[in-house]
Amino acid sequence: MVPIELVLALGAILFCIGLYGVLTRRHLVIVLVCIELMLNSVNINLVAFSSIGPFANITGQVFTLFVITLAAAEAAVGLAILIALYRNRESIDAIKQDLLRW
Amino acid sequence: MNINTHIVFFLILAVIAIVCAVLVLALKKISHRVLSMAFCFFAVAGLYFLLRAEFIGIIQIMVYVGALSILFVFGMMMTDHKNVGFGPERKKVHKFLAFIGVGTLLGFMLYGIMGMNLPSNNEQFIGSAEAIGVELYGNYVIALQAAGILLLAALIGAIVLARKEAE
Repeated sequence: MVPIELVLALGAILFCIGLYGVLTRRHLVIVLVCIELMLNSVNINLVAFSSIGPFANITGQVFTLFVITLAAAEAAVGLAILIALYRNRESIDAIKQDLLRW
Repeated sequence: MNINTHIVFFLILAVIAIVCAVLVLALKKISHRVLSMAFCFFAVAGLYFLLRAEFIGIIQIMVYVGALSILFVFGMMMTDHKNVGFGPERKKVHKFLAFIGVGTLLGFMLYGIMGMNLPSNNEQFIGSAEAIGVELYGNYVIALQAAGILLLAALIGAIVLARKEAE
């Protein structure tokens, strides 16, 4: 059995890689991909506690299903927004989307 | 499987996942980055199988590797994928500050995880699809309905947003 600290450390590392990507990349598709990476690392934590945690039970896997549903819906709406943005502004560079900047 | 085989498999999958996640940030072409993301999700699905959450592993492969990767490939092809660089990158200071902040966060999280004192549990829990279904339609039935409504709203919203404006 894998010690739970190793699995949690993997989740933390993946989360931080995704967060760094969201903060620094300029291509908006890559920003969405990094958000998916972050949600996935949350899933790793939930499944780890559900499987080898101190009070292992099924609830973590049920919540993982909800998170996967949420991630799919978010990716669909996000890509639709990107396509509309590209049609209207001819660019999906994150820096150029400054219409609401004060 | 004894304990060492488990840990060796876990380390292999973890290294694959982390390397693919880094490649998502490091590669040049957008299509290669999306492919690397798919491999990262595949490694995480293998990790779920190792943790004996088989149903979640199957769902991960179907939803993430199957559906989301195709969705991202379509989104990439419908926008400007030929344009690799956007001229001047973000400022060096910005990247450096982001790196410092994320590194500090990672350090704190790893410190907290390693200092954690959990009561040990020697039984690995095996989550069957049947148990998930009983729980989902028993305790969490309202959340299940809400997830259905959310998917419907996302479907309609995506169609309305991505469709061409009528003249």
